[in-house]
Amino acid sequence: MTAPAETVAPVLETRGLERRFVTHRPLFGAPTVVQAVNGVDLAIREGETFAIVGESGCGKSTLARMLIGLIRPSAGEVLYRGRDISHLPAREMRGLRRELQFIFQDPFSSLNPRMSVGRLIEEPMQAHGIGTPAERRARVAYLLGRVGLRPEHAGRYPHEFSGGQRQRIGIARALASGPRVLIGDEPVSALDVSIQAQVVNMLEELKDEFGLTLIVIAHDLAVIRHMSDRVAVMYLGEVVETGPVDAIFEAPAHPYTRALMTAIPAPVPGSRPETAGIVEGDVPSPTAPPPGCRFHTRCPFAEARCKTERPRLAPGPGGRLVACHLAGRLPDFAPRTLAPGLTSGAARRFGLWRAARGGDVATSKIPPAEERRP
Amino acid sequence: MPGDPKPILAVEGLSIRFRGQSQDLVDGVSFDLAAGETLCIVGESGCGKSLTALALMGLLPQPAARISAGRAVFEGRDLVTLDAEAMSDIRGNRMAMVFQEPMTSLNPAFTIGDQIAEAVRRHRPVDRAAARARAREMLDRVRIPAPDARLDEYPHQLSGGMRQRAMIAMALANDPALIIADEPTTALDVTIQAQILRLIRQLQAETGTALILITHDLGVVAETADRVAVMYAGRIVEEGPVAAVFDDPQHPYTIGLMASVPSLGRRAGRLQTIPGLVPAPEAMPAGCRFAARCPFAEPACTAAAPALAAIGPGHRVACRRAPLESHVAEAAA
Ligand SMILES: Nc1ncnc2c1ncn2[C@@H]1O[C@H](COP(=O)(O)OP(=O)(O)OP(=O)(O)O)[C@@H](O)[C@H]1O
Ligand SMILES: Nc1ncnc2c1ncn2[C@@H]1O[C@H](COP(=O)(O)OP(=O)(O)O)[C@@H](O)[C@H]1O
Ligand code: SF4
Ligand code: SF4
Ligand SMILES: [Mg+2]
Ligand SMILES: [Mg+2]
Repeated sequence: MTAPAETVAPVLETRGLERRFVTHRPLFGAPTVVQAVNGVDLAIREGETFAIVGESGCGKSTLARMLIGLIRPSAGEVLYRGRDISHLPAREMRGLRRELQFIFQDPFSSLNPRMSVGRLIEEPMQAHGIGTPAERRARVAYLLGRVGLRPEHAGRYPHEFSGGQRQRIGIARALASGPRVLIGDEPVSALDVSIQAQVVNMLEELKDEFGLTLIVIAHDLAVIRHMSDRVAVMYLGEVVETGPVDAIFEAPAHPYTRALMTAIPAPVPGSRPETAGIVEGDVPSPTAPPPGCRFHTRCPFAEARCKTERPRLAPGPGGRLVACHLAGRLPDFAPRTLAPGLTSGAARRFGLWRAARGGDVATSKIPPAEERRP
Repeated sequence: MPGDPKPILAVEGLSIRFRGQSQDLVDGVSFDLAAGETLCIVGESGCGKSLTALALMGLLPQPAARISAGRAVFEGRDLVTLDAEAMSDIRGNRMAMVFQEPMTSLNPAFTIGDQIAEAVRRHRPVDRAAARARAREMLDRVRIPAPDARLDEYPHQLSGGMRQRAMIAMALANDPALIIADEPTTALDVTIQAQILRLIRQLQAETGTALILITHDLGVVAETADRVAVMYAGRIVEEGPVAAVFDDPQHPYTIGLMASVPSLGRRAGRLQTIPGLVPAPEAMPAGCRFAARCPFAEPACTAAAPALAAIGPGHRVACRRAPLESHVAEAAA
């Protein structure tokens, strides 16, 4: 997979994007305000897979929802193909939704339980006046097949499906209107590993087939490395590092990116030295973010100016942008790129598995038991 | 464990059945745990990890579920046959549990200090001041900053990571011989998870408490376990020293699971997958429960459940075709 060239005009762009939420409004005195997204500038290129990563509460979902106009920014703008969509009237925004679709994290709550699967997938087409009833039904059947379900599933209801299957239904629904951009908010986080792998592969195939631009929010760094061309790392509402996935994973420049990479447990016994640099402390409350660099309360390299002066995104090696006063002057960092199965014994068994699986085709000769219901 | 005559916990054929069902959901789980040892139980959701833990703690949902067979001998007594009173003497005392979501086991109406002190006084004849001193000592032990101030805070005033530390402090307050932790870091962010896993390793080195850690994350297993038990659809399908299971995975489910995990390294094509879905709990297939998803399955696999049998030192697997290469022609990969 090669990242689309830099010269391609961005399909989505944000400029100084901000979103504040008032969480508490007392009778007297100042309201409590959460600065969920604070001054984000991003450019997402046509046809790429762009990942947004960060810990809970850092503003990923808020950013994603602003990107497709599900919520409005407090300041800044969102440009879709060069046009500011953040202040469009509701009716025009609904029309645009045909091109910008969302996959929700929780397959259990994001589907209306009273609608059949066929209705759920047909509804976006109806809403946008796409096709005749017969054409819509044919497309429902096609999409069901494409996400690995059967046409007869159209008559069933969401509760009859497992988490992984519901996520497939959500994906079919998102694809129904023929979108150009698909945003997945933790689309595979709630799934078990073996099901997650099925859905990740499927998303990649669909992206190729439908020529989509994919934006994925995830907290699993390995999933991001596998799926995306570029990544933005967020901390407390701000992008601290962004650029090509390979450059950033091979040499993370921002201390917070490094902390994330150090923290993930690698599936290789004995691979973590006991002295590894785990960052201390909790993520500060977004109602009272630290001044200066928001990471300075946990950063092992923080200096005096970090406490007062906000670092801005600036170009770094490998086509990335990084927001750190000490960028380029930090000690080298050896990232952990360990994969399971480094030993010959494990590699040999993985080879047997691959061969027996014969690509993506189910090869078990035993008929499946009744499908699992939640 | 071979060579260890006296495990502190010996589980043998533990089975759990839900009311109105004709099959055991958790079926014949057996393992030994030595003092100070960490056993990780790994498997996908619904495979029975939590039920196994709850059964050992005497906390199965009543009357929906019951232990239908087996023994679990802990410090010389079979937990399965103990009455409720004897169980509650042991629980929170000789063995304690840490849950995924600390808010389910912390009472929102009482301060952290009161709850830990209460846990101490339930099992020890100490006065309030001594119990409070113990609570403070425990908060310090789990590296909670400013423990004196935290004693008087309520659970909702703590962050998720701090609450999990407080839960661990409470679990350790009576010097248990065994802690069962069910997905203790699953709800936490990755940098906080790293802190808690490090804390667990440090505390274990300090206290010598044995640990059963339940997780679905192979990375957590690799970092924490001495031994690992892989569960699938209610059964242990593979069990052994952590290095043996990762370097020499024998069960097709273990192999498929490890192969499905994306690596942090450069992308190498599509991910491997395990086809299909886990079986429904009320419709467990006969024979090997993995057969419908197993690329190595043959008709005989559905005839009888394969027994968990030794395949290496301390390493057991429940697959009639293990080791695979002696049955399957190797691919020139
Ligand atoms: N109270 C209950 N009544 C009926 N079924 C139950 C009950 N508790 C659990 N189960 C079922 O038992 C099976 C195993 O549950 P258990 O919670 O032990 O699995 P687990 O491996 O820990 O899953 P997870 O990782 O999702 O927590 C599941 O299919 C679940 O739906
Ligand atoms: N509708 C809302 N009202 C109040 N606060 C909100 C709302 N949505 C998000 N927030 C707050 O904004 C911050 C960022 O939230 P979110 O975008 O959901 O982060 P993430 O998806 O990374 O978990 C959090 O502190 C969250 O509590
Ligand atoms: S600006 Fe300072 S505090 Fe912020 S990440 Fe860089 S070194 Fe650390
Ligand atoms: S016993 Fe048969 S079906 Fe079960 S894991 Fe082994 S080869 Fe596969
Ligand atoms: Mg979110
Ligand atoms: Mg569980």
